[in-house]
Order: sequence, then structure tokens, then C-alpha cells
Amino acid sequence: MPQHANAAESTSAASPWRQQARSPLLAAGIVILALAAIYLFGNRDSGLVTQSIVSGLLLGGVYALVSIGLTLIFGVLGVVNFAHGAMLTLALYFVYALTTSAGIPVYLSTLIAVPLMFGFGFLVQRLLLNKLTTEGSHEGPLLITLGLQLLIVNTLLMVFGGRPVSVPGSVDGSLRVFGAVATYERLIAFFGALLVAALLTLLLRRTSFGMSIRSVASNAQGAALVGVNVGRVYAMTFGIGAACVAVAGGLTAPFTSLTPTVGESFTVLAFVIVVLGGLGSVVGAITGGLIIGLVQTIGALYLPGTGALLLVFVVFVLVLLFRPQGLFGVRP
Amino acid sequence: MQKKLSLASAAVASCVVLAACSGGGGGGGDEEIVIGAVHPLTGALAGEGALMSAGAKLAVEDINEAGGIECLDGAQLSLSTGDSQGTAATGQTEAQRLVDSGAVALIGTYQSDVTQNVASVAERAGVPLVIDVAVDDAILEQGYQNSFRIQPNASSMGEDGATALEGIFEEAGEELSTVSYIHIEGAFGESVFSAFEEKAAADGIDVNEVTYAAANFSDATQVVSRALSSDPDIVVVTGYYPDSLLIASALQQLGSEVDVYGIANGAFDNTSFPGDAGTAGDGILSANYHYNMQNERVEDIRSRFEEEAGEPMETAAVLSYQAVEVIAEALQESCDTDPGAVRDAIADIEVDDPLLAFDGPITFGENGENENATVIVTQIADGQIQQVFPEEFKTADLTFPTR
Amino acid sequence: MKQTETELPRVAADDPRLRDTDLRNSLITLGVLAVVLAVLPLVVNERIESILVLTLIFAIMGVGWNLMSGFGGLFSFGHAAFFGVGAYTNAYLVIEYELSPWIAMIIGAVFAAAIGTFIAFLCLRYKLAGAYFALATFAFAQMFLLLAQNLEFLNKTDGLSLPILGEESFWHMQFRQGNDWYVWIPSGLLVIALGITILYARSRPGRYVQAARDDEVAAASLGINVMRTRLVAVMLSCAVTAIAGAYYAQYYFFVGPEQAFGTHVSVQAIVPAVLGGIGTIWGPLVGALIVGPLAEYIKELLRDPPSYLEFLQGVSGLDVAVYAVLLIVIVLFMRKGIYGTLKDKITERKNQ
Repeated sequence: MPQHANAAESTSAASPWRQQARSPLLAAGIVILALAAIYLFGNRDSGLVTQSIVSGLLLGGVYALVSIGLTLIFGVLGVVNFAHGAMLTLALYFVYALTTSAGIPVYLSTLIAVPLMFGFGFLVQRLLLNKLTTEGSHEGPLLITLGLQLLIVNTLLMVFGGRPVSVPGSVDGSLRVFGAVATYERLIAFFGALLVAALLTLLLRRTSFGMSIRSVASNAQGAALVGVNVGRVYAMTFGIGAACVAVAGGLTAPFTSLTPTVGESFTVLAFVIVVLGGLGSVVGAITGGLIIGLVQTIGALYLPGTGALLLVFVVFVLVLLFRPQGLFGVRP
Repeated sequence: MQKKLSLASAAVASCVVLAACSGGGGGGGDEEIVIGAVHPLTGALAGEGALMSAGAKLAVEDINEAGGIECLDGAQLSLSTGDSQGTAATGQTEAQRLVDSGAVALIGTYQSDVTQNVASVAERAGVPLVIDVAVDDAILEQGYQNSFRIQPNASSMGEDGATALEGIFEEAGEELSTVSYIHIEGAFGESVFSAFEEKAAADGIDVNEVTYAAANFSDATQVVSRALSSDPDIVVVTGYYPDSLLIASALQQLGSEVDVYGIANGAFDNTSFPGDAGTAGDGILSANYHYNMQNERVEDIRSRFEEEAGEPMETAAVLSYQAVEVIAEALQESCDTDPGAVRDAIADIEVDDPLLAFDGPITFGENGENENATVIVTQIADGQIQQVFPEEFKTADLTFPTR
Repeated sequence: MKQTETELPRVAADDPRLRDTDLRNSLITLGVLAVVLAVLPLVVNERIESILVLTLIFAIMGVGWNLMSGFGGLFSFGHAAFFGVGAYTNAYLVIEYELSPWIAMIIGAVFAAAIGTFIAFLCLRYKLAGAYFALATFAFAQMFLLLAQNLEFLNKTDGLSLPILGEESFWHMQFRQGNDWYVWIPSGLLVIALGITILYARSRPGRYVQAARDDEVAAASLGINVMRTRLVAVMLSCAVTAIAGAYYAQYYFFVGPEQAFGTHVSVQAIVPAVLGGIGTIWGPLVGALIVGPLAEYIKELLRDPPSYLEFLQGVSGLDVAVYAVLLIVIVLFMRKGIYGTLKDKITERKNQ
């Protein structure tokens, strides 16, 4: 039964690696057409639309960064990681502690936070989740990560208190793109997301370790038979997922007000993005993140506040029902 | 058979747990008068909640040191704290626990939905609740007899905020015709906004409304450019601390030359805001209920608080302090520790030297609202928050327009 | 995606030879439970009664969730949707039409059952299973949350406050604070919910749905209409959960979007069943008896800090952290849940 469960997910997890070129281009085309339509017929000030697009893409970059980690954890391990947002918060506070107490610049702190979070993720999977994951249980890992989420949030609360704190930024200033404003800090986060995605894709496709992750994802039992240490691969995968979250934390730290619950809202959105993009698909996570970012900012031009968020969930349910493999996956 | 056994053992186990709970439940000794304080001590708002709880505790210590409740032979007060965890259901359970442990009155709770719940406990138990912070009008619209609010409610802040804004423009000799109003979604933002809009519309001012949702609010650039697109004379902001901070820096990044005015804003009059916002905070105005900087008693309390807690005492914590004082004064007036008697005393009370910059003494109307609660305007100048409007609360001169 | 298998752990089908004695035993236990619950409010104080009510609400939610996700094998991560529909329907009807909560509660349950059946039908029709099913239900709960926050007639984020009558009335389910009826009513509701579970698990549709959970293909090949049997489980589950929601609104005199549809509500429906034992009759109750008082118990231990300074530095958040560790430990080391593990051990010993 566990191998069935994993096979079910990995078919969609594995295919995007082969088939990913066409679908994102198609999606990008549709998005560009939609945006053009808004410029022409949207009945909104064009400068405002430009700003919304720029903001949406930059916001989407942040979402993408967070979701890349989840697409591995949920896509490969099938773990409904309820603590994903809390892990982001943990990474943010790592960076905060390093910058404020040790005086290390924020981006250098990020580099230190990455191995720390990798180790954290590795241990979580190895000590707490591996047994349940190999059994193919869903509610077990969900409950463990739920406990983990409560634990992280409240430990941070005990150590740092609940008042919002901020990480001193290191790059001031902003860039004007077609009249719209983009701060350097957000641009760095955006391109950081693309860089992480590229590195991760290379890792998965070109290294033998990436090969073992993919083989475990598509058939854990088979991989074990040919000598892959499945438990270790699981732990490494969760570790890499956590490391991605650390990058996300470091790059967003300069423009985020930190509270122990700041990451919570990302958990839900990351799940939406990962399913939208296709489980295990890094490119899908990036595209999904950008789309959700745009839907939120452009949607806000027409729908007040949470209305745009409602739209996001409607899209999510439609994708689940009609294209559960995600926008960029291929139906097996 | 095994089912019965395991069930029985579970029942026994839970009875043991329940019994253990009851063991620690008792309040103070007979001579101590218990006041219950419900605040969010864990959860997203734990920071604010802990400070408010500390503010109330300081008030209890001060009153005890000054000889307790005089007419009750110097009876000492004691504060029992409850943690609402920021949720209405927990707030209610905690309030109930405090009432059961003999609290003569409750204070709390910072959040409107939790306060609503605690108010219903107070109502059914016949124990007075003095609301330190909670903004929503609806709390006291139920016709509750046992709940009293010290701070101004949302709609009165919206209205008073509009009046003060018009006054500022008049004083500066500027014309006010268009306002862009950015506010958070939900009861708090909407009720402040609609009261503001009503007043502004009556005075012939155009109001352009821009809303945002608190969840996932990490980039204010777009919201701010929507607000600026109508070329307003001023941008008004109602929201919590992190979002208002983002809005202030987005305004700076977009090179906005429009002045910023907060109403019931969680950031613009907060002591850590000037530091966090840097130059983006310069000159920002804020209409809010605020502790009175000119009052020496306030100065003394705040400096002692900061010494003990290591953090500045914000207005919310001052209000918790004030709430305990109101109850203490009611105990003195009624000379009775019966919750009903305390309630009646609070209803008729007149607290002469309020710690907040109000229009007059604290007195409660039929509906339980403080009749003299109002807002004052503060401004950030050289990294300091100063009171600038109206005239009688001035600690520094108003600079307007600033940019 | 192969959705022919559900990913929930299977609970071994009961030995058919034991079936009838099992039913009798279950009903006897239920009777004992009813007596205990009837006496309990008479011996404990008000403070504990409020914890007891919360525990009972947890238990009803857990029993409801267990019907669909334990016996039916459809893992729901969105039971807040049905809890919330129950709570809001009750509050709305009581406020607007001054209906008796007893009637409003039933209307809410029917309404929630209809919505739940529709959602489950969509998910099953499009063959969502396992984590995907969980995520879909989660998304629906989130949509309900956003709707409640935006709908004018539900008072948006303000939520609905029930009027306080000022006089006691069983018909309007309002009593003096601390009246024992506040415990007896949810106790009665829980006993009914457990009774439904016992009878349902033994009934034909109940046995069919368990067969479909354990092996869908085999069940279908035996001529079981899998879709229909599952929808029956969903219907019962949503109705029971909605009743918990309705009583929540009634007891707390208030319901807002977060209290009704928040993610933590879905979690509260899952945790008791998983801790106690998924797919067992008594599991959710055992789980609720732990979850309900646990947070309170830890909080009690950590209360009364020596001075507020220390409190600021250290204790804030510790109770929830301890609670989280316990949750992890229980899930890790008693994977069939506390009741499930105990039951297994006893059965093992008997067989030796």
C-alpha cells in the first residue's frame, strides 16, 4: 500500500521533469494575454496596472521561494507539512538573531541559516517522520507537523516575545520599471527565487543524488531493492525543502515584520501553489507562485481585500477537481 | 468487556486530571480582593497582551502600596491573570475561571471578538467588565449592563479623527477636498472608515477608499499606488502595526509628497515606530486615544514600568492600568466587594485625573461608553512622538504640511 | 493517480463471531457513560464544568469526523466547514427568526449534511483520494471562512452574537451561568452521536463503507455501490459535526468566522480521533478526554508566576509548547491511538 500511495503522487511528480518546457510557456502566454486585456479593457489607470503587475510578480517570487521547499516535501514524501510556514518563521528568526546579535549582514546570515535549516529538516524527517512516511500514512505526518508548528511558534514566542521586530536591511533604494517601483530588496528576493529554482532543477536532473530522489519518488520499494537508502533520501529531501525555506526566510527578512506567527499564512498559500504547479515540479512552483501573486494584486483592483483570496481558492478547487496533476503536470 | 475496562480507566484518568485542575484553582486569601485580567498572553498578539497584563499588575501594586482600598480597611488587591490565547472561546473559559475564583471585576481584552465573548460572561455572571482596549462598537450594542469601555469606540474615533483632520487643515490654511483612505478589512477598519466617511461627506470632502486584507499582506506598494492614483490632499491609514509600517515605507519608496494621517492606527503613535520606519516615519500624524504626556503621574508610571518590564509602556498598557484604577475607585465608592455593588459604582463613577488625553473625567453613559473618550493627534518629529493637536494637549508645534 | 486505494491505516474488521456480544457490550458501555456524564456536573465545580463542555464539544466533533474519515476512510481536513455551517445556521435562525435552538440545530445539521454530501460527491466523482481529498476539503473550509468574512447578512468579521434572554428556558437553551443543563445537553448529544456510531458501524451501510475503505475494488465487485455508501457516511458525519457547532454557538453566545471556519477548528475535529484511535467507536471520546483538559491542566501548572518579569521572559507560550511535544510523542509512540493500542494489547493478552 505505501508504494501505491507514492506511485500515485510520483507519476505527476516525475513527469514535469520531462514535460515541463511546453506547459509553462503556454501558461505564460495566457497570463500575458490576460494582462494585455486588462490594460486595454480593464478600465483602470495603466500606471496602476503596471504597478500591480510588478508588485504581483515580486510577491509571487516570495510565494514561489516558499513553495519550492514544499513541492519537494509534499511532492516527493507526500507529507502534508503543516509546519511549513512555521519553518519559514524559524528561518526568519535565525537570520534575525544572526544579524542583530552577531552583527552579520542579512544576506550572509542567510548563507549560515541554510545549513542550519537543512540540518533541522533532516532531523525532523529522520527522527519524527520517516517511519510514518514509509508506511504511507497521511494523518500521522500531518499531526506530527501540526505539533511541530505549535512547538516552533511557541518556542519562538518564549525566546523572542510576541512584539514585531525587524531585521536591519542592507540594501536601500529602489528601481523604477515603466513607472512602477520595485525595491532592490524585493528584486533580490525575486531573482534569488529563480536562482534557487535553477540550482534545484540542476541538482535533481544532473546529479546522482537527484536521480535517487526521483527514483524514490516514483517507486520507493523498487529504489530500495536496487540499493538506495530510502530513509536517508527522505531525510535529505526534507532537509533540502527546509533549506529552500531558509533561503526564502533570508531573502524576505529585510522587508518583513517578524512575529512568531508571521509564516502561518504562507502554509495555506504554499499548498495552493504546489498543487497548482504540480507536485514535485520546481518550475511549476515558480509559475504557480507568480500566478497567485498576480491574481492577488490584479484581483485587488477589482475585488476588495479578501475577495481576491476567495478567487485563489476557487481556482485551487477547480484545479484539484479537473487537473489534480496541476497545471503543468501530465495526466498519467 | 475490554471496552468497558479501558473506558472506565480513561474516565478515571480524566477525573484525576480534572481534580488536579481544581486543586490549583483557588484565588487569593480572604482579605484580598481579586481582579481578573484577560489578555492574549500567547498567540499572535502575545507581545501586546503581556504588556497590558504587566500594566494592570503595576496598577495593583501601586494601589496596594498606597494603602489598598481605604474604606475596606485597606484591603489589598490581587490580580489574577487569564490567557485568552487570542481566541474567543479560550477568552470565555478564562473569564469564567476568573469569575469562579472570586473576581469582583474583570478587565480586558484587546481584541474585539474576545471582548464580546468575555462581555457575555460578565453579563450572565453579573460581574462588571471594564474594557481597557477593544474598539468595535458592536460590543456594547447588545445592551449589556455590566460592560464599560474606557477607550473611544471605532465610530467615534472615525468621526473625531475627521474633525481633527479638518481642524489641522484649517489651522495650516490649507484646503482639504480629497482624501485617500487606506484601511484594513474587517469590522475594525470598516467601522472607523464609515464614521470618517460620513463626517467627511457631510463637509463636502471626497473620500477614496482602498482596502487590504491583513492575511498575507507583505507588500504595500500596490495598495499605496491605488491610494495615490486619485491625487489626494492626504492619505489616511487605519491598520495594525506591521501593515502600517509597510504602508509608510511604500509611500516613501513611491516618492509620495502627500502627508500621512493615521486614525486608530496601531503603529503611528507606537514608540518603536519612529525607529522601525526611519525617515519614512517623519512627520506622520496620528489621531488616536493616547496617554497624556503632559500628565506627571503618567510620566512616573511609564518610567517605572519601563524600568521593571524593560519595554516602553504603550497606550494599551496605560489603559489596563487605568482600568484597574477605575475598579479600585469603584470599590472605594461602594465600600463593598459584591460584584453587583461594584458594577453600580462603576456606572456612576467619575474618575477625575485620567491617564489618557481625554476631554474630561471618565464617566460612563447608559450604554457603558466613556462619555469623554476622544482622540488627540500626535506627530513624529526627529524620531520622537509629540502631541500636536488640539491646543490643550500640545507638547510640540504642529508642522503641516510637512512635505 | 491511482485512487483505488485509500491511504488510511486499516482497522482489522471485527471478528464476525464476536459481533453480537460486541454490540451488547458497546451499548452497555454507552449506558455507563451516560450515567457518568449525568452525575458528573453534580459533583464538579463550575470551572471544571466549562472545561467539560469544551471537552464534550471536542468529543462530538471527533465522533463526527471519525464517521467519515475513520469508518469511511475519507480523510477530511476541512470539518470546520460543517462545524461552522452548524454554528452559523443556529445563530442566524435564533437571532433572525427567534427559533428554538433545538430546531435551528436540526436545520443546521441537515444543511451541513447537504453541503458535505455535495462536496464529497464532487471530490469522489473526480476521484480525489488521500492527501488530495484532504486538501480539497481544506480549501472548501477556507472558502467558507472567506465567505463568512465578506457576507453582510452574516455580519462579516463581527460575527453573530446571540441575545441573552435573562430568564432560564430549556426550549431556548438558555440558563443561568453554571447551570448543569449546560453540561447535560452536550452530554446527551454526545451519547446520541456515539449511539449513531455504534449502530451505524454494525448496520449494512456501515459495514459496506468499511469494506470499501479497506478494498474499494473488491467492494465494488461484490456489488456495493461505493459512492452511495460513502455519501451516507459523509452525511452522518457532517450532521453530527454541525450539531457540535450549533451547541458551540449556543454555549458561547457568539460565533465569528475564525471560531466557525478557522483551520484550528478542522484540527480540533481530527486530533481527538487520531489520539484516541481512528475508526474505533470510543477513540474520539478517549482522545477528547485527553485534549480537552490537557491544555488547561498544563496552563494551571504554569500559572501564578513568581513575578511578572519572569513571566514576560519565560513562561508565555510554554504551555502550548508542552502540549505540542505531548501531541508528537503520542502520535509517534501510540500510532493506533491510545484506545486502539490499549484494545490491541488487551486482545493480544486474551489470545495468548
